[in-house]
Amino acid sequence: MTRLEALPHYVESNRFEHFVNYELLGKTALRVQRWRDQWKIARRRPRPDSALNPPLRSVVHMKEIMSRHYLEGRYAAGVRKVAWVTSGAPTEPLQALGYFLVYPENHAALCGVRRKAQSIAEEAEHAGWSRDICSYARTDIGAMISGKTPAGRLPRPDVLVCCTNICQTVLHWYRVLADYFECPLVLIDTPFLYGEANDHEVAYVKRQIEDMICVAEEIAGKSLDETRFREVMTNARRGAELWLEVLNRSQQRPAPMTAFDGFIHMGPIVDMRGEAVTVAYYERLIAELDERIERGIGAIKEERYRVLWDNLPIWFKIGEFSKWLAERGVNVVASTYTFAWGELAPMIDPTQPLDSMARVYLHPILNRSTGHKLDAMKRMVDEFQLDGVILHSDRSCKPYSLGQIDQRDRLVKTLGVPALLLEADHNDPRDYSDEQGSNRLEAFIEMMEPRA
Amino acid sequence: MPIHYPRAMLRAHRLHPMELWGPPHVERHEGSRHFQAYTCDIVVKAMSFIRSGGLGASKAILVPHTCDALQGMGSVLGDFLDPDQRVLTLYLPRGRRGSDHEFLQSELRRLATTLVEVSGYEPSRADWDEAFEAEDAADRALADLYQRRDRLAISDRDFYTVVRSREYLTAEQFCQQAAALPEGDPPERGVGLMISGIVAEPALFDQIEAMGAHIAGDDLACGFRRVYSVSAQADPFERAAYRLLTSPADPTCGTPIQARVETLEARMRALGARGLLIYDPKFCEPELFDVPLLRKHLGACGFPVLHVEFEMGDRLPHQTLSRIEAFVETLS
Ligand code: SF4
Ligand code: SF4
Repeated sequence: MTRLEALPHYVESNRFEHFVNYELLGKTALRVQRWRDQWKIARRRPRPDSALNPPLRSVVHMKEIMSRHYLEGRYAAGVRKVAWVTSGAPTEPLQALGYFLVYPENHAALCGVRRKAQSIAEEAEHAGWSRDICSYARTDIGAMISGKTPAGRLPRPDVLVCCTNICQTVLHWYRVLADYFECPLVLIDTPFLYGEANDHEVAYVKRQIEDMICVAEEIAGKSLDETRFREVMTNARRGAELWLEVLNRSQQRPAPMTAFDGFIHMGPIVDMRGEAVTVAYYERLIAELDERIERGIGAIKEERYRVLWDNLPIWFKIGEFSKWLAERGVNVVASTYTFAWGELAPMIDPTQPLDSMARVYLHPILNRSTGHKLDAMKRMVDEFQLDGVILHSDRSCKPYSLGQIDQRDRLVKTLGVPALLLEADHNDPRDYSDEQGSNRLEAFIEMMEPRA
Repeated sequence: MPIHYPRAMLRAHRLHPMELWGPPHVERHEGSRHFQAYTCDIVVKAMSFIRSGGLGASKAILVPHTCDALQGMGSVLGDFLDPDQRVLTLYLPRGRRGSDHEFLQSELRRLATTLVEVSGYEPSRADWDEAFEAEDAADRALADLYQRRDRLAISDRDFYTVVRSREYLTAEQFCQQAAALPEGDPPERGVGLMISGIVAEPALFDQIEAMGAHIAGDDLACGFRRVYSVSAQADPFERAAYRLLTSPADPTCGTPIQARVETLEARMRALGARGLLIYDPKFCEPELFDVPLLRKHLGACGFPVLHVEFEMGDRLPHQTLSRIEAFVETLS
């Protein structure tokens, strides 16, 4: 049995199936679903017993966009070239070449939100992967070998693109994928920036992006169209700018959305940056946020404390946390994680695509020093007028978490803001204790009391 | 700090490296003030050691970018802890392409400028030549030790004591020590094992010997993965980069799994190893990812694989020893 035969759930579609199931029936069904959701939202009565104001109306559009993306994924293999990419990979040339992009991290997060991550990760654990490796990797490896996924089906990759600007974990993980799928693995290695970027680091990343384009062109059997590439870059920049604007709207008091909303609404900028639909979606979202701001409607009814969230969300707890904290007057208004997809917007230059991509993809917060991250947090405490910081110590994510102990100490000592280290995992419920978590959060809220 | 770094370059700048792999008998306590419980011992114990003044008169701490954990350590040391020593970093590319060679040469040039600041010494051409000659000789001596292993009348423990003395001896001292090893029939050997992982403490070799087995070869980061090929390029940075980028298969360097499997299989056959013991410090992601696929692929070639994790400095738990013992028995 070849390795691919061991993965029978990765089937190919043809153009007919793609057209009927996705273009014709699928898209229509999702549109109808959106209308029904809109109708439900319009009829929803305000709930006086809830500490949260009604959710943003735009969410139904986001649901449609993301569902459409995953639906197309089911029928993409054999119809479009498919690339599996890390969340920080330079995908714009791939998009311009017509690739369908799969973001395994986003897929793992989807499993987390749907509370399916543990059972899927256990498939990987039964196959020998340790519980000490990142739970995103475990979830996706589990999905790969078992075929279990809330997305229905993922398309088999023609190429894997792994960019180390978020962690080295992804390289180890993608080596596993390459071994299973027996397809090319393109590495974009981005030197970690302990300080400012040096020229040789930028040049190195640029050359690797150029090499990636050559590989991608060969697999796609066509050349990169410069006009289309520029168009994608323009959309990428605009999308990132708008996303940044979305997040910055929460500088308002009361904040019109929570960081938990942000975790959900970041789907398009992660999975579909560079696409016009993303730009249109964030324009719509901003309009709704502005309407809320104008009417003085906050995401939660009584915003007593404004808090920063550091690190990945705890996907399986998003809803519960948002409600639990809102009931205590806590609005988590910002997060370092969601900003990562917006803060580099000014660096994106569609007229200098390769040079600017090299710079952009070197600079995500996860590729920068612990001191830089502390400075970013301090700036956010100031700009968002925050009363406290929750640092999610994510057992799975060492690059994000190592350094948090010293960062917390400095936040407390230099800014005088209460800061809590909350032990958990972004996808594995076995690494979070409800009782201990709630006790620590209660104590944290008490520490913020004098600031209310 | 582990694993790969340019030794000749340090020597040319009149600096002598002392490597920190733990140290195993240091408590985690002080390091735990900075790193969470899910951080490996190499990082936490090294931090304890540094914070409790263990580095004495050293001038600098070089943290090569080996993994996310060492990345965090280098960053925390440099950004928050202000140690007496200068904190130096080195990014090691994870590919073996032309772009990786070019990048590493520039990265080494950058490092060299900071080494001049640390040592106050700017090496001359003669210094570089002398340094490469000495370090290449030591690299050759290490490679030769591995080649002569089955003609050395010493135990595995003694063999690895010498291999690991490269972590603190000068090149000349190491060469002398390696040359002085007695040739002859090795002690009673038993079942041959290949051992893989980051680092193995001497007590493990005694235990393995007591079980009636021996180490036929290793794939340890502190061992065979640092048997570098000798290079002859005229430019010192090109030469140093070549040395680092032609090192044996190593997951921390991004070696594709298939290539790693093929190398391991060929070496195991050549050395007469009957099984692979993967011996990892807890929480070592670079190692953990490969384990199931090594088990699968090497298993298909007839080589059973056992994976055990350990905490440095602790006596090996009875359960771990029993697992190794049972593994050895199945191979006998
Ligand atoms: S280690 Fe962190 S950054 Fe890397 S894939 Fe896992 S969660 Fe993402
Ligand atoms: S033991 Fe593993 S995780 Fe720890 S420093 Fe070494 S390579 Fe990194």
